[in-house]
Amino acid sequence: MGGSSISEEIEGFKKIIADTINTTASEIHFTTGGTSANNIAIKGFLSENAGRGTHIIISVIDYPDLLANAAFFEKSGFTVTYLQADRDGFVDLKQLQQAITSDTILFITTLVNHTVGTIQPIEKIKNILSKADHKIAVMVDACEAYGRIPIDVNSMGIDLMSISAHKIHGPQGVGALYKRKGIVIGPIKHGVARIDSFETGGINIASIAGFAKAVQLAFSDFKKHTEKIRELSDYLLSSIESKIPDTMLNGPRGLLRAPHNINVSFDYIEGEAIMVMMDLNGISVATGSACASQGLKANYVLMALGRNHEQSHGSIKFTLSRYNTKTEINIAVDKLKEIVQELRNRSPLYNKE
Amino acid sequence: MQYSQKVLDHFMNPHIVGKIENPDAVATEGSPACGDQVSIYLKVEHETQIISDIKFQSYGCASNIATASIITDLAKGKTLEEAKKVTWKEAADALDGLPPVKMHCSVLAVDTLRKAIKNYELKNNLSTLDKFSKETVLEELKKVIYPKVGEDIITLKMVKYVGFDNGVVIIDLDIPKFDKYRDNVAEEIKEHLEHYQEIKDIKITM
Repeated sequence: MGGSSISEEIEGFKKIIADTINTTASEIHFTTGGTSANNIAIKGFLSENAGRGTHIIISVIDYPDLLANAAFFEKSGFTVTYLQADRDGFVDLKQLQQAITSDTILFITTLVNHTVGTIQPIEKIKNILSKADHKIAVMVDACEAYGRIPIDVNSMGIDLMSISAHKIHGPQGVGALYKRKGIVIGPIKHGVARIDSFETGGINIASIAGFAKAVQLAFSDFKKHTEKIRELSDYLLSSIESKIPDTMLNGPRGLLRAPHNINVSFDYIEGEAIMVMMDLNGISVATGSACASQGLKANYVLMALGRNHEQSHGSIKFTLSRYNTKTEINIAVDKLKEIVQELRNRSPLYNKE
Repeated sequence: MQYSQKVLDHFMNPHIVGKIENPDAVATEGSPACGDQVSIYLKVEHETQIISDIKFQSYGCASNIATASIITDLAKGKTLEEAKKVTWKEAADALDGLPPVKMHCSVLAVDTLRKAIKNYELKNNLSTLDKFSKETVLEELKKVIYPKVGEDIITLKMVKYVGFDNGVVIIDLDIPKFDKYRDNVAEEIKEHLEHYQEIKDIKITM
């Protein structure tokens, strides 16, 4: 395939993604994944716009990429306000209002929280930010949100956004950055501009094609798919809560939570043990336990939401997709019930008189 | 997490998990806040000092449960003196090894066993309470594992200075500034020391 036909194909792939978030192909840039998109957006924007101000606002429960980037700029002289979150994982809007100064140039958030699935009230945030007498750009990590909740970058007031292919059954190692026309970001990865000056160098066209295909499949019947996932996760949660005592849902209940995420803490037992037993039974889940983390620390999102160490160690995250079935949920919950009971029987905390 | 088949076997099917009613001695070590706690129950033949029955309960991850299981296996049928000598390295070896970040589980299991034996000895006037000193602090620091390599911080020469004066423990640690285990090591040290009544404050510099 020649260079010009490849360019045409890439334009086509960009268009496929652009159509799903109500924007144009020229505002989509392919990257080597969500993390790369996050870095290009934050580092590119802040380094280019530092002349307008050096204050950014983020929250303590954001995705690690975002927090690490904020910390990087804090070290080099930026001021960072870290918003707190309430017990369901919504960022503190009152604190946001008070944090805005004439120096604020960027607001950063994780549209759907990666741990507890909370959907941030982005329209409300947009209204608060628009009251400032200067432009504050909005950067959103939408890796957990894309393909799970409807995203319209215009009605939501999003200026920069990262998405990732593998979260919607696409290939690993490819993602995209949405950059609103008029928002200027500098290059952070200097080199030969194959498709643009952001993700420079050789690009993996096969992965991009796979990404575009995954987008087409996910959005072929978006409403039906997401309704199905929500039905399954509602069923998962109600099954857990009716069959297993002493549990606690982390994050909000109902429509304020992304459809694919259920995060539950199980009293008296530790999450890594649950996770390993589930895994040996062919069921993949994640945990916020320190024992399964880098650095052996309790999950920072759950701790920020006011959970104690035990609740964080005992948490399990279930991630659902449109390919799951009700039968699988039944099998998973039956196994989970057995595992939780077995581990509780072994636990000195459960067997206390 | 790469666990050996033996770890997984003990985790899935621990041999002697549970509780002994009317035990001759019991000990519980670790804390739920840190994500691991083990209880060990002992039955001891008075004349021979042989551990005739032993059971454990465990709150923790797969390797926490597996190490508690292997340590009770290893101790059963041994005399108290023999059981006391089982080390955390032997317990880990008996499981065909543990990932370095999980080595502290083996330390906890051995510590709980030794505490249970000590409790038995105290109850039966076979031993007296250890007198607290700077040596006690050093012994406790030998139980703090640096998760990156799975070895204790004393052996690794990460402890530059230990002082004990007027109830205040001062520890100077050599640990890289951007080490992801910095907080964990400091917390582990505090967890090991703060239950001593003789210690009023723990100051860690690093």
